[in-house]
Amino acid sequence: MSAAKRVQQWATFARTWHIFDCKWQDPYESANIIKKYLMGQHKPIYHPLNDCGDVVVCINSREIALRGDEWRKRAYFHHTGYPGGASWTLAWELHNKDPTMIIKKAVYRAMKGNLQRRHTMQRLFIYHEENVPEDIMKNVSSQIRQSRLVPTRLDHIPEEEVKQYPKVMDYPKDYVLK
Amino acid sequence: MAGLVKVGFSLARNAIISTSVRSIATTKSLNLKDIRECKEGSTLIVEGVTVPSPRTELLIRAENIPGYEPVVPSSKPPCYMCALGLDVKHTDVLILSQFVRTDGCMLPRRITGLCRRQQKKIGKMVTMAQKAGLMINLTPDNCKKDPRKRREHKKFNTYYDERTIFMKYIPKPLDRFKR
Repeated sequence: MSAAKRVQQWATFARTWHIFDCKWQDPYESANIIKKYLMGQHKPIYHPLNDCGDVVVCINSREIALRGDEWRKRAYFHHTGYPGGASWTLAWELHNKDPTMIIKKAVYRAMKGNLQRRHTMQRLFIYHEENVPEDIMKNVSSQIRQSRLVPTRLDHIPEEEVKQYPKVMDYPKDYVLK
Repeated sequence: MAGLVKVGFSLARNAIISTSVRSIATTKSLNLKDIRECKEGSTLIVEGVTVPSPRTELLIRAENIPGYEPVVPSSKPPCYMCALGLDVKHTDVLILSQFVRTDGCMLPRRITGLCRRQQKKIGKMVTMAQKAGLMINLTPDNCKKDPRKRREHKKFNTYYDERTIFMKYIPKPLDRFKR
C-alpha cells in the first residue's frame, strides 16, 4: 500500500468535526440535516453497522426560531413514573429552562429509536451561545450549511442604504408626511 | 311642475339656512405636504409646505421595465404590486417598511393604492415582520424595542410561512386512502 493510499484510508475512517450555527434555524428542519452528519449518512461508505458517524457542534442554540405560534403551542411531555406524574412543558418554557434542550430533543427524535441512538447522541455538542470551549473548537474543521436564511433587521441596515433602496410605493399627492 | 316646486323650495331653504361648507379651498389641497411647526417668541406658526415626494426618483413600476408586457389586456389593469410580480417574503423589510407609518402601522388602502388581495397580503407580512422583531425602529414609542425584552414566548425568534396568509383559499390535499 502506497503512502498516499494509506493516508486516504485514514482520512476515510477519521471522524470529522462539523460546526452548525443554529441562529434563526428551525430545530426540526435542522435536526434532519444534523442527523445525517451524526450517523455518517453523508458518506459513501455508510452502513448501519459501520461506525462512520461524525461529530457535530451546534452553537447559538438560544437563537433558534420556531414557526408561527409554535413557541406556545408545542408541548414537551414528561412522566415521572408515579401516578399523576405527567407534565407538559410548553416550548418557550423549556427554552427558558434550558436553551439547548429543544435542539437536542429534535435531533434525538429525528433518529430511529435503536440501541445505537444513545451513542450517536454522545457525538452531538450543543452550546447556547457562540463561546465554545477551546478544546472542542480546535477539532472543528468543517461547517454545515444552514437551511434558512438569517433575516436582517431593518435597524441593522445602514440608513443610507434604506433611503437609496428602490421603492415600489409612492405617496399619493394629498398625503401629509408624518 | 313638481320639479319646479322642489327647485324653488331648495333655493328658498338655502337662502334662509346658509351652510358653512365651502367648496373653494384657500390653499392648494392636492399636494404632498410636510407640516412644520416653528415657534417665534410666543406665536406658534404651523404651515403646510408642499414638498416633492422623496420616492419618485427611486420608484419602480412594471410598465417602465423594458420587456414588460401585460399578460391579459383585460378591462381592469392589475395593481402595481401584482404587475411587478415580486415574491415578497416577511423578511424583506426594505420593501415592507415602505408601506408603514413611522409607528409601524400599515397604511390604509386609499394611500397605498394596492388591490384588495395585495393590501391584505402586505398587511399580514408587516404584522409578521413586527412580531419577528425585524422592524423594531418602526414601532410606537411605548414599545420595548429589543425583542429579547419581550415577555414569555414573544422574546424568542419566530419565523413565518407566507403560504399561511391565504390558507383558506388553498385546497385541502386529497385524501387518497379515503373510501
